[in-house]
Amino acid sequence: MDFTFTKKEEKFRTELRTWLEENLPEGWLEGKRDLPEDIEEYSRVLRDWQNKLYEGGWAAIAWPKEYGGRDASLMEEIIYHQEMVRVKAPPLINYIGIHMVGPTLIDMGTDEQKEKYLKKILTGEEIWCQGYSEPNAGSDLTAIKTRAVKDGDRWLINGQKVWTSFGHVADKCFLLTRTSNHPEKKHRGITVFLIDMDQPGVETLPIVQMDGHKEFNEVYLTDAEATDADIVGQLDSGWHVLIALMLHERTGIGAELFTLEQQFNDTVKMSQQYKINGRPLIQDPMIRQKMAGFYARIRGSLLNYYRNLTTTLKNGRPGPESSIDKLVVSELNKELSSFAVEIQGHHGVLWDQDAPADSKWQSLFLASFGQTIGGGTSEVQRNTIGERVLGLPKDMGR
Amino acid sequence: MDFSLTEDQEMFRGHIRKMLDTFGGTQVAREMIENKPENLKKLYHTLAELGCMAINIPEEYGGLDLESLDLVPTYEELGRSLVPGLFMETNALAVPILKKYGTDAQKQNYLSAVAAGETHISFAALEPFHDFSPQGIQCTLQQKDGQYVLNGTKILVPEAELAEAFLLLVRTSGDQEDGLALVLIDKTDELSITKQASFDEAKHVAKLDFTDYTITEEQIVGEADKGWANLQEGLLYFNAALSSYMVGAMESVVSMAADYANIREQFGQKIGRFQAIKHSIVDMKVHLEIARSLSYYANWVADTDEADREAAVYSARTYTTEKFIEASAQNIQIHGGIGFTEEIDCHLYVKRARYYDQYLGSTPFYQEKVVASLGW
Repeated sequence: MDFTFTKKEEKFRTELRTWLEENLPEGWLEGKRDLPEDIEEYSRVLRDWQNKLYEGGWAAIAWPKEYGGRDASLMEEIIYHQEMVRVKAPPLINYIGIHMVGPTLIDMGTDEQKEKYLKKILTGEEIWCQGYSEPNAGSDLTAIKTRAVKDGDRWLINGQKVWTSFGHVADKCFLLTRTSNHPEKKHRGITVFLIDMDQPGVETLPIVQMDGHKEFNEVYLTDAEATDADIVGQLDSGWHVLIALMLHERTGIGAELFTLEQQFNDTVKMSQQYKINGRPLIQDPMIRQKMAGFYARIRGSLLNYYRNLTTTLKNGRPGPESSIDKLVVSELNKELSSFAVEIQGHHGVLWDQDAPADSKWQSLFLASFGQTIGGGTSEVQRNTIGERVLGLPKDMGR
Repeated sequence: MDFSLTEDQEMFRGHIRKMLDTFGGTQVAREMIENKPENLKKLYHTLAELGCMAINIPEEYGGLDLESLDLVPTYEELGRSLVPGLFMETNALAVPILKKYGTDAQKQNYLSAVAAGETHISFAALEPFHDFSPQGIQCTLQQKDGQYVLNGTKILVPEAELAEAFLLLVRTSGDQEDGLALVLIDKTDELSITKQASFDEAKHVAKLDFTDYTITEEQIVGEADKGWANLQEGLLYFNAALSSYMVGAMESVVSMAADYANIREQFGQKIGRFQAIKHSIVDMKVHLEIARSLSYYANWVADTDEADREAAVYSARTYTTEKFIEASAQNIQIHGGIGFTEEIDCHLYVKRARYYDQYLGSTPFYQEKVVASLGW
């Protein structure tokens, strides 16, 4: 057992930390972290930040050097997440481009596709979204109905996508379509296209979330166009592409866990400030027990993540147990933010400018409901763990 | 970064598991219910032969001078089969305390005998109508005519019949934590030992009565009034060990549940296909893996001076105890009617979970220690 970092890793950390101190937006480290409300402005600020990361060589550290990355090790990626969380860095607007589309294109894209897209992903010139879910295909993506039909030398795509994160700011979409029917094996006959979002056949309508934000969208496709050159991998083999893409998410949950830990430390501070019967909340025995419970669970989840990471480092790939991490972090997120609102008592419902201290908890609480749904619901995660880790029989209907 | 047990440690686990299987797994625990400790004694003899008792004892006393982490495979495997006995009280409580605070003579006497498998040390702290707290210790140790005299009653003393010695927590003065002492007494015929009935019949407990029982100054371990403080050091190791034992027991519970859900059919399906069953087993598994990570870290951190040492150990203890109780209960539900019988092992785990839940401190007791150690 060894929790130390190598000299090389420490050097990496120092280099990144120094760069962040010099390059974060003015006032950011001191707590001036307001991003514009206006979507155009918001998108511009974050594209600029993405470009700055690119110029510093920090946009996609896990990518190979020849494509503009740093060939970063898993541990360096972990350090990267830790440092970004530490300074509460601005969100990565091209998250999908950097962590999913880019690595997939490097892996299985044509030379032409690599040439055309990779650099623009890094610089933030082209923002990507994923066109996966549909009104009747959420957890079960094999049920997608969006259809691509060959018409001469082009493909015409018709259908509707939903819950498309970043759709309103995206220039390009990694789109899942059906190209042939296989009633018995529904995962066959799916093809991935790279399409333009600003073409006439694509209409994007934002969906208002329960926390008032509009982070995802409905996307209507009416004779949207693509060519053979826009297909990723082989025709009808989109399912393999999808699986390959998911495997590229090497360390993603790490960032969420570090954030969770930081948010927990913030709840500690809050419970030292808030008073009940004139005494700080943290002195109340019930609150103390709950805090101790969260501490154990959050530390435990983080340690569990490290244990799974060790397996990955040793075997070159994650073990099936790592599927536990996503379930745990999203459930914990929901409970912790709920607790943070609960301990504010009746102040807990106050919102925005009227929130007693920091309305972040109220936002986090409302946003947390999406986390046990997005990226596969907790129920789907439990099925996966049950079947892949525990060897229980397949679920009904499959 | 390497957060795992070494290959050697895992290999050692394999040896212990194989050995325990030859003893029939939970069979040894079941024999204890019938008051037949013969196989348990044999099992302990074999553990000693494999070197388990010598792992954390210094070389000069015939030990292997290894780390707490090297004991983890043994703890987990003993937990899987619910093996009772004094392994943890001896190696994870008495040994660390003796190593840190014992006199040369005490070390020479006891550490060598423990390493050789000749001495097993039970722990006597709890008293009737009291909890595990400094105020709960009323059994007195008083100087009288140049001698030390013990008076009082200790209850819930584990496996007194297997012990060669007892570590006692007794009161020297006042009613606070700075008036307590740890003493080590050998078992003799003069000791009054009465078996107590417990619903975890596989784990024997007894009452020790002391009436003007005389001991010598040499039997006091560490400074006389520092008993409580010194005990805390031992409890770090003990609770880390206990977490690993419970992780082993939980692992057994989870695999019992998963195996059963893979065999048992209802409504024309294996019950593991129903999400109500499947998800419930998954939750048990998730809690098990987190408990395991907490307990690995707890055993590692116990041997260090890391800042989160206490918080880590006590959060492992609280989390694991809570989840072991939940999982062992849920296991009965998954088994249905058969789970409620004595025939299947389910109930053994429920009883052991309850036994350890309140043993040497409760969940709120240790949660308070987590919070206090973090300075909140």
